[in-house]
Amino acid sequence: MTAPLLTPDLGTGSLEHRDRVDFRELRRARTDRLFDLMDEIGVDACIFGREANARYATGVRRLWTSLTRAFVPTCFVLRSSREAHLLSFSASYEGIPEEIAPDHYFPVTWNPMQMVERLSRLDGASSIRRLGVDGMTPLFRDLLAQVFPAAEIVGVEPDMRDMRRVKLDAEITCMRIAAATAEASIVAAIRVARPGVALKQIQAAYLERMSTLGTSQFAQQGTFSPIGPNGAVRWITPVDVLPDNAPLALAGGALWAGYEGSLARTWWHGSQPPSPGQRSATGEWRDTFARVVDALRPGASGCDVLRSFGGSARGDLTVRSVHALGLGHEGPIATPWLEPATLDAEVVRVGMVLAVRELVACDSGGYLGEDMVLIGEHGAEPLTTLGHGPLAD
Amino acid sequence: MTDLIIDLVSIDHGRMRDERRARLREAMRVQQVDALVLLGPTNVEYAGVKQPCADAMRMHHEPVIVILCPTGPVHVCTRFAEGAGPGDEIAPPIAAETAPGVAALAARIRDLAGSRSRVGVDEYTSAMLNELGLALPGIELIDAATVTGAARITKTGDEIACLREAQRINETAMFEVERAVIPGVRQNELTALFLQRIFELGATANIIDPIWSLTPRSIAAATHTANHDVGFPLASDDRFLREGDLILCDTGMSWNGYHSDFGKTWICSLDPRPTAALRDCYTQWQALFDEVSAVIRPGVTCGDLVRAAQRVEQKYGLSHFYLGHGVGCDSAEMPFIGSDLGIAFDDTIELAAGMTFVLEPVVWRDGVGGYRSEELIVVTDDGFERLSRYGYTPFA
Repeated sequence: MTAPLLTPDLGTGSLEHRDRVDFRELRRARTDRLFDLMDEIGVDACIFGREANARYATGVRRLWTSLTRAFVPTCFVLRSSREAHLLSFSASYEGIPEEIAPDHYFPVTWNPMQMVERLSRLDGASSIRRLGVDGMTPLFRDLLAQVFPAAEIVGVEPDMRDMRRVKLDAEITCMRIAAATAEASIVAAIRVARPGVALKQIQAAYLERMSTLGTSQFAQQGTFSPIGPNGAVRWITPVDVLPDNAPLALAGGALWAGYEGSLARTWWHGSQPPSPGQRSATGEWRDTFARVVDALRPGASGCDVLRSFGGSARGDLTVRSVHALGLGHEGPIATPWLEPATLDAEVVRVGMVLAVRELVACDSGGYLGEDMVLIGEHGAEPLTTLGHGPLAD
Repeated sequence: MTDLIIDLVSIDHGRMRDERRARLREAMRVQQVDALVLLGPTNVEYAGVKQPCADAMRMHHEPVIVILCPTGPVHVCTRFAEGAGPGDEIAPPIAAETAPGVAALAARIRDLAGSRSRVGVDEYTSAMLNELGLALPGIELIDAATVTGAARITKTGDEIACLREAQRINETAMFEVERAVIPGVRQNELTALFLQRIFELGATANIIDPIWSLTPRSIAAATHTANHDVGFPLASDDRFLREGDLILCDTGMSWNGYHSDFGKTWICSLDPRPTAALRDCYTQWQALFDEVSAVIRPGVTCGDLVRAAQRVEQKYGLSHFYLGHGVGCDSAEMPFIGSDLGIAFDDTIELAAGMTFVLEPVVWRDGVGGYRSEELIVVTDDGFERLSRYGYTPFA
């Protein structure tokens, strides 16, 4: 297994003296974990439509799109043969890992009936008693029930999510690279920002840098917008310019090899020095972040983590979040909008990568920040290390 | 350009939201649906509620849920209150990926729709699949697609204006990208330029990884495909483009929720010159497009368009695609035209004024290469208007 790489050795490609990630080994290790999970939860086969699960199960890099795709079966994995079949990826074999044989590969169809007929003809399909799926449209729910009349159809996304949340070493390497990519892109955005510049131009600089570094697949397109009085943040970058003497929120995330790196910063570009309130919001954010990171110890519950934020925050509390990252977003473990039962059940575990996000409001603005940490046996290691610029003084 | 500016100014966002909601409610009335529960981002957008653009997994875990009833305020569970409409009932997000979240969602549906009702849902999370039906005895859950599909298939004037603006931004960015398709450029550099330009021009979101597919001149020389046809699209990476490479590009972005679609065939060179045989492919493509577009008017079926294409080329597209697809809040939505759903299906869809779709036939001559262009079309009262304005360099 590739050892975790620290800052000096991070890069997006491989060179003759350094294979940064052994992807074949990564695919093998992920698939082993998937079949172990299917053994454990007693599922004979799975049909995945969600990108993260399909990628975990097959290692295939599909044409990336944003938003969600309405459910379409994307891959089929059968426990008895430990084989994966690709459904509806594209017609081409290019980029398909060599362990997936050409006869396990079906071209795109726009016809749901053809899709389910194809599924029903696969070897072993008739013996399936429990069929795991990760999401579903009501239409496909009914079609699959017709094709697998003897099978119980169960949603297995929570089990998949729990498994994915604990990372292999090679996955952590991917996430370190993704985090560095996201940081580099945020820095590019910081550098074009100045009062009077279009916010969209700041966002453009972010995406331009990310793509030049080799990935055009964003985890979040992010927001690049001034923070208004009392911590008012727009999450959809408006068509507007950056006013003078307003704190600028910059948030974004990149995917590298499917793995997410995300962060947020608030930066000061004003011609006047920031107000004392703005400075103290920044200080409060840093104190809160330190407190939350301290609480992110193996075994801590979602309740424990949420409590560590403290109770006196103003502004939009739904921003406050600790959530898992991996092959994209892997779900919140502590936010004020999770049900108490969920907060009780969520547990911080060794090998998780967590993002900590908080907004501290003040009269004149506020501070939005987000950082990624890796949970180790003795606590959290930061994966994003970008400073706070003029507001840190 | 003056026309476009006037069109842009003419968009009334409030009217667009109201008209779309009225269409959803009319389709609910026809289908006897008492409430719609929408999680899919493009359905949420159509229902007049915006959210930041992100990859699929983030959309799942920071969900926005819209509950629409025949009357009363639209109920929106979101942490992005800025995206809801005036008068909407804003509630905190619901964690639809967890069992406790689904219990909360079920209670909300029961409150809003009544305990004996018919409710359309567009997507089930795992937790919804396992729990929602059990939590709602007496409530019939059906696929919301019958309602959303009926509402979305024809566009209002404001929606068409949004599509026009999305396509304008996409094309303007591509003028610069086309100039950058020279030997030694890498695919990710073209993407960087494209993304930079669309956002500078005001794009709301990028919705697909831009495609700069290198296409061999013969199928035998290409990567194998499951249907023995041309492999397209191939996902972009950091590969170099070289002299003479045939590039089939395909990009799309969103402006105010509406998706552009841009596809052209280019040749990588400082001095791109198609061979005579390749130019013939383009000429034939133009003949094919002219034949199909001459048929377009309200009342004809999608099957009529397919038959028109087949009069010029029996095989009008790649085996795994279609002659065309609808475009709106999704970059590929109904109507699908000439897909493997079959001509009988195509004949069930009658064109109506306000339908918007992209025609993307391909003319391929094995050993020569091929030509593909995408044309964004809106059906008008007496024919059609082409919203794509880009030319056919270096072929025309």
